[in-house]
Amino acid sequence: MGAMEGLMQGVQVAFSWQGILFVLIGVIAGTLIGMMPGLGPISAIAIMIPITYGMDPSVALVMMAGVYYGAVFGGSTSSILLNAPGISGTVASSFDGYPMAQRGEAGKALAIAAISSFVGGTVSVVLLMLFAPALSQVAVSFGPPQYFALMFLGLTAIASLSDGSTIKALITATIGFMAATIGIDTQTGTTRFTFGNPNLLEGIDFLVIALGLFALAEICFLILKRKDTSLGSQGDIGSLKLSKADFKEMRGPMTRQSFLGFILGVLPGAGATIASFIGYISEKRIAKKPKEFGKGSIKGLAAPETANNAATSGAFVPLLSLGIPGSGTTAVMLGAFLVLGIQPGPLLMADRPDVFWGIIASMYIGNIFLLVLNLPLIPYIAKILKIARPMLISLVAIFSLIGVYAISFSTFDLYLLLIFGVLGYLMRLFSFPAAPFILAFILGGMMEQSLRQSLTASNGDIMALISDPVSISLYIVSILSFVVPLIRNRKNNQHQQEEQNSDAS
Amino acid sequence: MKKLWMFSALVLVLFLTACGSSSETSGEGEDGEWQPDKNIEIVAPAGAGGGWDTTARSVGKVLEEENITEQNVGVVNKEGGGGSVGWSYVDSTNNPHNIFVSSPPLIFVPLNGQSNLSHEDFTPLANMIADYAAFAVAEDAKWENLNELFEDMKEDPSSVTVVGTSAPGSMDHMQFVAIAKEAGVDIQKIKYVSAQDGGGMTQILNGSADVYSTGMAETVEQVRAGKVRVLGITAEERVDGEVIGEFPTAKEQGIDATFVNWRGFFGPGDMTEGQVAYYEEKLKEVSDSEAFAEVRDNYGWDESYMDSEEYSEFLDQQREELGSLMEELGLNQ
Repeated sequence: MGAMEGLMQGVQVAFSWQGILFVLIGVIAGTLIGMMPGLGPISAIAIMIPITYGMDPSVALVMMAGVYYGAVFGGSTSSILLNAPGISGTVASSFDGYPMAQRGEAGKALAIAAISSFVGGTVSVVLLMLFAPALSQVAVSFGPPQYFALMFLGLTAIASLSDGSTIKALITATIGFMAATIGIDTQTGTTRFTFGNPNLLEGIDFLVIALGLFALAEICFLILKRKDTSLGSQGDIGSLKLSKADFKEMRGPMTRQSFLGFILGVLPGAGATIASFIGYISEKRIAKKPKEFGKGSIKGLAAPETANNAATSGAFVPLLSLGIPGSGTTAVMLGAFLVLGIQPGPLLMADRPDVFWGIIASMYIGNIFLLVLNLPLIPYIAKILKIARPMLISLVAIFSLIGVYAISFSTFDLYLLLIFGVLGYLMRLFSFPAAPFILAFILGGMMEQSLRQSLTASNGDIMALISDPVSISLYIVSILSFVVPLIRNRKNNQHQQEEQNSDAS
Repeated sequence: MKKLWMFSALVLVLFLTACGSSSETSGEGEDGEWQPDKNIEIVAPAGAGGGWDTTARSVGKVLEEENITEQNVGVVNKEGGGGSVGWSYVDSTNNPHNIFVSSPPLIFVPLNGQSNLSHEDFTPLANMIADYAAFAVAEDAKWENLNELFEDMKEDPSSVTVVGTSAPGSMDHMQFVAIAKEAGVDIQKIKYVSAQDGGGMTQILNGSADVYSTGMAETVEQVRAGKVRVLGITAEERVDGEVIGEFPTAKEQGIDATFVNWRGFFGPGDMTEGQVAYYEEKLKEVSDSEAFAEVRDNYGWDESYMDSEEYSEFLDQQREELGSLMEELGLNQ
């Protein structure tokens, strides 16, 4: 059967009334669950699996896919409004989204997030449709040495995630690396830094750290500064309207990150988180005013939001065309396929074109639904900020606790959350940035694993790390992204000095 | 306002703690017969989507949908520590309504020193299914069968990289070691890497690793597409199935070793005979049902029912065999 014929079958599934109805149900459920701080796509998919029992597989999977990207779409809400990221893919969205909301532009921030998500989602679906079969080769093109180089590139972000002292950023990153080593070391099977506690054997969950360092630390800060009325125009949502200038700002990051995010999403293991971080730093690097990043920059919000949604579509490439789940979320997604008796893999496109193309075609509709549903809802969602502050603070605390408890139903994680909350508050007090901690924690584990896999396979030959063009070019980009800003800063400084000199004379 | 926050957090913590540890004793008739008087909770000591979770959910579904139990059956995921978090949960709640599903890691993890609880601390109720390991290579690999692979490994163990999902000393590693040892490979020199998130299949497809030690079902789609080749499986004899039926066993290639990925159910340590008999009977009904036969076919599992007594003996034997292998590897703690 030709690809065209299969595609038509898929379009039929996606545009049947069941198709449209269940995409709608999927994306609504996904966004709502994703908006809750602490609940992300994994919980959303797991919650929805029982509903699919007995449904037609293609329609059911169209719905499940909707739940997945809907949750990523909605996930930015809690990052932006409450600084409480529910999934790792939206941590980077809080860097500029939360300051923007604090400044009284919550409506605008949510609108930027929704539009960038829509663009990232839609462009990547087009890419998915055109190249999905061909891209399965790209998905397996990265071996451990290439992953190591990619993580290395991600790490160069640490320097750019620090507002003030680079030393402080490096210190928190080191602690992040240390936290990543806790648990069973998968290359040897030995336990590290668990102190005999079985709860630490699997390591610390990302969500515990993110909610502790961001949400709880923010809460502590707000409570202790409650008398300080200068803390901005709280409750002010601002206008939803984006000016032409705003759109102009967004255009660049949206275009670039749709492609970059998609490619990173295709690589198993990289996914939305790394795409959003790399999207953020790459935009900061090429921005004319990098100083605005971290203080509510439009580019700084549009970049990660475009990238994480583009990566979500990208993740369907290895899942559908190879049957390889590239992340915990797609592993649960794979489970949803198997429950329905569908085995994703190289033959899915030929065996079940209705499923393969149905999911892809439905993602167009899903993304349009998401935009149409989300934009009018923004004023209502943003009203969360109008809730009296004491109430809001308690709500965030409660949701953070529930989100963490829902990971593994263990009270131990709740204590850990509190510990990280206190740590996060202390870090803020002494102006240590939290972002490098999170970044090092996410990248550190994968970086260590891929380094050791490479070295085991090469019998300890370190040259294996730089023996192919892909890793070499990734290292070159890393070095460039490190050196270029330094040179540019120096030039700027010289320039300023010259100006001052000429002023003085 | 600080008080309000503290208070609400505290209430929530207390509430959640209370939910987590409720336990009651249940009625046992005078004649030793036992009926559950509340919902049965099957613990999957791992996250959603894995082998334990799938087994727990499919058995739970059949129990409920075929009306085999009068009570509802719920599945709870207790992830962590390669299973030990779930095991210590069942052990500490010590409630005959809480049972869990397990497989060879129940032998490996205690031997690794990662759990103080072993299969002897629980009551084996019944084994349900058997699954087998498959050793896959890329379709352009030079080996056509296990003997060719093991010949190369005997000559130079460092020339072959084996990849699996679990850590050394757990299933993917040990199932390969068990077969390789029988073939005469120096098992201490086997190069094994562990790769999560679907990394194993990726690594043999792009040539980063040579052999993927995994379950049979994980290889089927790639074999059908002609991307990978299965050199051997660890079953006693060939397994029925469209693609799986073509996988040669290690035994038929002259390597006299097998490895079974058994999966069955366990209850807390001190259960009465009536309670054991109840679960044995209900699980036997599941195993014999048509609905469960369909589940087995879907996932490519073999039927392998063992009652409590047979299962205990089997487990003791497993521990002895695998324990001596791990001792040789220096993984035994």
